[in-house]
Amino acid sequence: MTDTIHPLSRGALPGLTARYRKEKVFKHIGLVAILFSLSFLAILISGIVLKGYGAFLKTEVMIEITPELYDANKGSSFTLLRKATIANLPAVEGRKERRAAYGMIGEGSEELLAEMPPVTSTVQIWLPTSDLVDVAYKHDLAPEFTDILTDKQLVWLEGWIGEDRVRTRFNAGFLTNGDSRDPERAGIGGSFIGSIFTLLVCLLLSFGVGVAAAIYLEEFAPKNKMTTFLEVNINNLATVPSIIFGLLGLAVFLNVFGLPRSSSLVGGMVLSLMTLPTIIIASRVSLQAVPPSIREAALGVGASRVQMVFHHVLPLAMPGVLTGAILGMARALGETAPLIMIGMVAFIADVPGGFTEPATVLPVQVFLWSDSPERAFQEKTAGAIIVLLAFLLVMNLAAIIMRKKLEKKW
Amino acid sequence: MVNVSLKEKSATAPIAGDVPHKLVAQDVFVSYADNQALHGIDLEIPPQQVTALIGPSGCGKTTFLRCINRMNDLIPICKVTGKIELDGNDIYDKSVDVEVLRRHVGMVFQKPNPFPKSIYENVAYGPRIHGLAKSKADMDVIVEKSLVRAGLWDEVKDRLDQSGTSLSGGQQQRLCIARTIAIGPEVVLMDEPCSALDPIATARIEELIHDLKKRYTIVIVTHSMQQAARVSDLTAFFHLGNLVEKGETNQIFTNPIDTRTEAYITGRIG
Repeated sequence: MTDTIHPLSRGALPGLTARYRKEKVFKHIGLVAILFSLSFLAILISGIVLKGYGAFLKTEVMIEITPELYDANKGSSFTLLRKATIANLPAVEGRKERRAAYGMIGEGSEELLAEMPPVTSTVQIWLPTSDLVDVAYKHDLAPEFTDILTDKQLVWLEGWIGEDRVRTRFNAGFLTNGDSRDPERAGIGGSFIGSIFTLLVCLLLSFGVGVAAAIYLEEFAPKNKMTTFLEVNINNLATVPSIIFGLLGLAVFLNVFGLPRSSSLVGGMVLSLMTLPTIIIASRVSLQAVPPSIREAALGVGASRVQMVFHHVLPLAMPGVLTGAILGMARALGETAPLIMIGMVAFIADVPGGFTEPATVLPVQVFLWSDSPERAFQEKTAGAIIVLLAFLLVMNLAAIIMRKKLEKKW
Repeated sequence: MVNVSLKEKSATAPIAGDVPHKLVAQDVFVSYADNQALHGIDLEIPPQQVTALIGPSGCGKTTFLRCINRMNDLIPICKVTGKIELDGNDIYDKSVDVEVLRRHVGMVFQKPNPFPKSIYENVAYGPRIHGLAKSKADMDVIVEKSLVRAGLWDEVKDRLDQSGTSLSGGQQQRLCIARTIAIGPEVVLMDEPCSALDPIATARIEELIHDLKKRYTIVIVTHSMQQAARVSDLTAFFHLGNLVEKGETNQIFTNPIDTRTEAYITGRIG
């Protein structure tokens, strides 16, 4: 009774148990692989966010200014700031200590004081701290972040914190300012605008040319040796290291055509060389995916080839074309190497106002800041990376939404 | 006989001279690269009748059909020689514009292939690109007339803005027929129009073919001999790229002359 096997049970077919086991093992391997990559992503993102969120905050300290102090230094906000700093610290003695005291307050404070209305009774004003104090305060005075402060500065800072005179606020300047040698004043505004200008040029150039090339190759070109040769070369272009395109841009756009160096116009042109093959390949694939029956239907009612393409085939291929274009753009957004060659790595403090003005882009800004010795630039770097990633995320989201919207049900 | 090119000819031009046939094929050879698909086809197709092309798979009947509106032009390796005349005008003449030709010779394909657009748009597309409607009202008339003739109007008149691909297979095929006749062709080519449809949808299409032949010359390729027997007036039997036998459908099915025809219709080859 016990050793009879049900004829439809697993045991009835030899080898079946092993087959199931294999299936299970494979499933688990897949799961582990996904968890592994997800955990890497989580580590990366959380690491950057933890490091970079501070860039969106600034530390401020409350300074009291009495009318007497104000009147005594009416002419110069520079001296007013210095005097006020000393007045708000206990017992500053000697030149060395005075210099240390001045180093507590950020450079932007002077402008704030200059814009201040006349002081008639004692006022309390929040001024940005220097980057050294900023870093130390944001990290709760952890020893590895306070070693750049002098002992006296640390004592003063602890005193201020004890008096509840230090706070953090949202740092709008980080998003709007151009680059600066001062960590407190440096922002990604310039490189963000530069990225947008550069991508606009890149999109305008590569989308039109790329889609037109794909349509010609896919729908009109005769299939002969010449088109095969073209095809192979387009595929090759997609794999060319991007710095080569930078060299080409330097040699042709800057040296031959004399276009302005470091401008987002040339940056966009160079990046469009790089994205063109991506867009052509993606567009061709999605054109190929349109069923030939649609082409026959259009031609069958007497449409010309151009009408067939623009009325039927291209609209159906559009989701794929756009996805390809946005993925190409996303790659262009993250590109640094070709821009180095055309001078977009220069230190540019102004927010660009046009396509021909000197500009830099987000990844180059990340690269520049990561090289800076000031500790405050560490969190700026991570902050810029957060903005870059958010930009990419928005672009990819746009791709998904557009795809969903344009996709036709069959 | 004046040889009027298709470019200038209007859709309602009378049949030239005393040519009794709508279409005349003479010595049509077709090859795909080194592969000879048709070996000198001679066939006359009379107006306002249904001509069925039958034969086993790969016999060249679809190839021949696609020569009549020059759909084979799309295949670069395909070479057509010989002569096909529509109302006495050679459709392979240099001056012929294929878009104009296809206005006169419409085609319905094997698999229903409506555009993924609204039902209205599907029918209106052809008339629009040929400029057949001067106003929206004109277009409405053309769309309604075409859908009525395709026997689809009653089923779709309340949902013309729905996608053509949301219809059932049989309805889609009738929509394709409506789309084809909306541009006012004289000849309608049908390439196995029922092969993807169930028997009821097939019966509806066959009825429709019967109605349509009052206005249009129909050439239909079919795998089903019963269908050929039911819908056609004339039948041409193709075998291995040759036109073996042509004649009245009754005669072909009851009293075939060639032994190959007999073998095919009795089911011994095919």
